[in-house]
Amino acid sequence: MNNNDKKEEMRLTDMKEGQSGIIFEIDGGRTATKRVADLGLTPGTEIKVVRKTLFSGPVQIEANGSKLVLGKGLASKIMVTPK
Amino acid sequence: MNEEKKISIVLAGQGNTGKSTIFNYLTGLHQHIANWPGTTIEKREGTLFYNGYMVDVLDLPGIYSLTTFSEEEAISREHIINQRPDFVVNIVDSTNLERNLIFTLQLLELECPVILVLNMIDLAKKKGLIIDAQKLQNILNIPVIPAIALQGSGLTDIIDKAIELKGTRPDYNTPIYGKEIENRISQISESIKDIDLPYPKRWVAIKLLEKDNEITKIVSQKKPEVLEQVMQLCRELEEIHGHDSSIVIADERCHVAAQITREVTKIGSRKQTTSSDRLDAVTTNKFTGYLIMIIILGGMFLTVFKFGNWLSAQLDMLFKDWQTSWYEFAGDSSLSSLLWSAIESILALVQIALPYIFPFYILLYILEDWGYIARISFLMDSLMHKMGIHGKACIPFILGFGCNVPGCLSCRIMESKRERFITAVLVTLIPCSAVSVIIFGLVGKYVGILWAFGLYLLALIIIFITGKISSKLLIGEPVELIMPMPDYKTPHFKTIILQTWFSLKEFIFIAAPLVIISGVVIQAINLAGWMPYIASFLSPITVQWLGLPSITGILLIFGVLRKELILVMLAAFMGTANFADILSAQQMITLSVVSMFYIPCVATISVLWKEFGWKKALAICILEILFAILLGGIVNRLLDIVF
Repeated sequence: MNNNDKKEEMRLTDMKEGQSGIIFEIDGGRTATKRVADLGLTPGTEIKVVRKTLFSGPVQIEANGSKLVLGKGLASKIMVTPK
Repeated sequence: MNEEKKISIVLAGQGNTGKSTIFNYLTGLHQHIANWPGTTIEKREGTLFYNGYMVDVLDLPGIYSLTTFSEEEAISREHIINQRPDFVVNIVDSTNLERNLIFTLQLLELECPVILVLNMIDLAKKKGLIIDAQKLQNILNIPVIPAIALQGSGLTDIIDKAIELKGTRPDYNTPIYGKEIENRISQISESIKDIDLPYPKRWVAIKLLEKDNEITKIVSQKKPEVLEQVMQLCRELEEIHGHDSSIVIADERCHVAAQITREVTKIGSRKQTTSSDRLDAVTTNKFTGYLIMIIILGGMFLTVFKFGNWLSAQLDMLFKDWQTSWYEFAGDSSLSSLLWSAIESILALVQIALPYIFPFYILLYILEDWGYIARISFLMDSLMHKMGIHGKACIPFILGFGCNVPGCLSCRIMESKRERFITAVLVTLIPCSAVSVIIFGLVGKYVGILWAFGLYLLALIIIFITGKISSKLLIGEPVELIMPMPDYKTPHFKTIILQTWFSLKEFIFIAAPLVIISGVVIQAINLAGWMPYIASFLSPITVQWLGLPSITGILLIFGVLRKELILVMLAAFMGTANFADILSAQQMITLSVVSMFYIPCVATISVLWKEFGWKKALAICILEILFAILLGGIVNRLLDIVF
């Protein structure tokens, strides 16, 4: 049985450095969702956490071959199914 | 000039795509920086004369989409729609093709003539991405020009292409989306066919499906019954896809962008980790990152202050002779003395601009061009967030330590009005180089260096608390940091010099008028012999509350011109530069505290006025005066216990 394959989705801010996953949904209002989508971060996109800062600040991510920094509030709205 | 020989182009693209480099390359020194009407957003225009053509180039703000969430986006969209430039030159970062193409698709939806520039094509190659420009051109049906802006390569091709295509009417090839979306776009297009709108119908239909506030409003005024149909269609889309229709459209663009990117990109050989990646790992690391930041910024401040103090002393000696020559030439009358104070104001501006602001800008732009400022923004974001602003505010803060004027000017990089205002207020509280002269020349020298650093710490605490309070008081949602993390690259000399030059020029032009006028007015008051009255009028505050000599009232008035005058005038009035003879340690500390916060200097007030209007500028001044008096009195009483 491969029960372990089914992982719970988690917030991008809760992922570890170097961990990657697939965006599951954006847990926020329309404005936030749209903003994130305009950056190419839509459900189904593969996303990787490159680096985080001290004091749970912004998250540096890599997606669609480009690197972005997202503020903590925005990043915490991105729900990811980790790989 | 013959109309046919005139071409207007606008540069559009996301941040960090080399847009400014291209703008600088094309227009050189023929540029003109102003604000977009009614905003504090920078509008950069320039002219290029090329092969008998006059090409007007406008640099739009760096944006990620053509919605109206931010002022920058709204301005860009309005400009492209209303001004109908001959060409929209879309600058694209080839190393991030997919993300950039999402914006390109939005431009194409607007049915404007787009020329696509694949900038940094060399860096893409280094990353192992080989982009087939010809194929991209065929898919999008617009001219595609590969370029390396830093080397100037491909840039004249843009203008050549514009000249070649000028006057031809391209058949617009708007991107085609999924069947279920296209179906609904055509239904809406059909319903709005008969309304008179300045926009392409297909674009309006897409925007209605995206629930764009502005377009929805316009359509509801002209034909409200369409909105019902739109709502129904949105619901249908939401049922099919399971999320909001605006996301369905955005998602669709991403898919198209991804598909095109896959089609035109060949993945070549790629080094697994580049040197930029390794440097990035160290400079954004939780521990080494902060350490390196402190070293780099500390080194920057030290260099600027060492260089600045040296050059400032040189200029001092030079200008001293000028004053003697002036009085020999113009005689010793009230008029000549007033004229001299006008000249002195200009010289003083030069004395700040050359030794301090100039090196500050150069170093800042080197760090920015190299890619390091983005790392500082990343590292500082959480701290800045506690003050209601975000990481990008580190640029105004860094500049503010040199001089508050460029600090306040650079607040334009913040996205919203609210952020710009909070950042500017906080910058006025940062001890600039002139305040540092007071702190170190008085407290550092006579009381102890630890006390001087204590005052800096006090300033930082006050900035932090003010940030916290103002972010609570000012309504509006804090804007989240969204920033592409650029790869490290070799700084480009010409860009840095041009940026520095324009910033310096702007500093002089904004600051000069008010600095000169107030310099003359204060000198007139002085000549009229009113200063002693002012001093005695202010003495309940200065003497009784702050415990300072009554002459302080006069010093503080001169200090509005430039803060270091407080020290200069103190020496002049007392006839000695050994301040230990005139002031007690307690008085020195109190005077420094008051000098730090009591009002922004007149040059800074000019910027606040220009950027935020006179009401807000006045409010800041009054609040800071009251605050400094209150704080100074408290410090004075607390020091009673210590000394």
